[in-house]
Amino acid sequence: MTAATAPVIRVDGVSRWFGSVVAVSEVSFDVAPGITGLLGPNGAGKTTLLRMMTGLAATSSGTVTVFGQPIRDNPPIYRRLGVMSEHETVYGFMKGREFVRMMARLKGVQNLEDAVDRAIERVDLADAQHRRMDTYSRGMRQRMRLAATLVHDPEILILDEPLNGADPRQRVHFQHLLRELAAEGRTIVLSSHILEEVEQLAETVLLIVNGKLAASGGFRAIRAALNKRPYHVRVICDAPRKLAAAVAGLESVDAVHMDPDGAIVVLSRNVLDLQIELPRLAQAAAIRLRRVEPLDDSLESVFGYLVER
Amino acid sequence: MRAIYLLTLRQLSGRWRILIMTVLAAMPVIVAVLTLRTDNAPTVTEFEKVVFSAMLAGAIAPLVVLAIGAAAFANEVEDRTIANLTLSPLRRWQIVLPKLLAAITLAAPFIVVSALLTSHVAFLGDATATMAITVSALAGVALYAAAFVWLGLVSTQAIGIGLAYIVIWEGLFSGFVSGVRLLSIRHYSIALMHGLDPRRFASTTHLSLGVATAISLLVFGGFVLLAIRRLRRMDVP
Repeated sequence: MTAATAPVIRVDGVSRWFGSVVAVSEVSFDVAPGITGLLGPNGAGKTTLLRMMTGLAATSSGTVTVFGQPIRDNPPIYRRLGVMSEHETVYGFMKGREFVRMMARLKGVQNLEDAVDRAIERVDLADAQHRRMDTYSRGMRQRMRLAATLVHDPEILILDEPLNGADPRQRVHFQHLLRELAAEGRTIVLSSHILEEVEQLAETVLLIVNGKLAASGGFRAIRAALNKRPYHVRVICDAPRKLAAAVAGLESVDAVHMDPDGAIVVLSRNVLDLQIELPRLAQAAAIRLRRVEPLDDSLESVFGYLVER
Repeated sequence: MRAIYLLTLRQLSGRWRILIMTVLAAMPVIVAVLTLRTDNAPTVTEFEKVVFSAMLAGAIAPLVVLAIGAAAFANEVEDRTIANLTLSPLRRWQIVLPKLLAAITLAAPFIVVSALLTSHVAFLGDATATMAITVSALAGVALYAAAFVWLGLVSTQAIGIGLAYIVIWEGLFSGFVSGVRLLSIRHYSIALMHGLDPRRFASTTHLSLGVATAISLLVFGGFVLLAIRRLRRMDVP
């Protein structure tokens, strides 16, 4: 691999265990410039993985390199890296500007006041910069933390659940800002447990489930994989036996069975077709549908399917 | 480094902490004023043993420094703000040293003023004795601070462990088991005091001024190195 194509971040066979609990297991991937989303349900191991990627935690095995250098115990690399953890790591007794200024000092920023001005303007908090941070809303604290993360103009941003606590307006502003930062050529890794949040922002997605990398790639490929998974759909209607017989003949249906309470459970690998065919069929047979509900549409079950494939 | 020093000073100078430190530091002065004005005033040796060696060097100084030194890192670990420091391009010693210096800066005035006032009352302005007591108290503050700053990085129960250490090790064992005095910050401090004014204080320690100075430097450096090593190797929350 040439220097030009070398990944910005390389995670190679990384595992982390705490006693007998495996939090992250044999995860490998490369991160290139642009926005990469780290997606997974709560407790999947995203934060542990991000902590190893930032050098805050050691790996039990495997390596993490940033610009080809090990991240752990390598302070100079933090000149090029901005990290925003999921925890509100602010000092409540400080004013917003003081906090950003202190972080700039710690990062060794030249032209301190100019850099602080730029960072605060970027997150649109100039009006609140002279207020103590313990008077801020959660969304404001997040934005001021982002300003502190950006103040040294890092090439890489690692953001753990950055949209937590943001209201819809702040969320839109945040997303716009992240796109802008990515367009400037930065490498951004952001984690989230919300599928739509990552879909709106990330070009590349890393799916983490139970500490393992379940899938990676472009969002379209991930979406296609999700749509092909088998769905269980529960149908309640006024003529269940008649509907079951008719539904069994559909191409989109793999199996049908009746629940003791009279509901039909349909197994389909082509849920998009089923969504169209089922109402048509019921209408043609004069069957009244009372309720149609997916049985396994939680994020955990979607991710679980991808792990078991 | 200046940013971390100033940050730590702000973090540690809470109103309640300062008030408790003031009350603790005032105790030897109050005891001196009350006991030395009675008809049965203690001798210099008795006063030195009870007030300077036991009370100031063995209880007040370590308690004041524990409350400040242990919190220097422990508070940041607890509220996870320590990541702000460790994610900066600073070598770990550049984080440990300003934290330690800030702990000493805050604790020292309480102990030094307490030692100055108490020795002034007890020895009626004897400059050499006052200097000996003040310098040894300051050395004790630095040594305890190095130990407790490290402890705050190692354990979330730093205050409890520190209290147990002060009472059991420095208070009980070092008072009764002579060999333990070689591993007692309190006794390094006492040895410095005796060595700096041998005219006033009849030495009861086994450590000469030179040995006490050398061990103090080794212990201080050792705890600083341990703290730096810990910060390099720990998983930062």
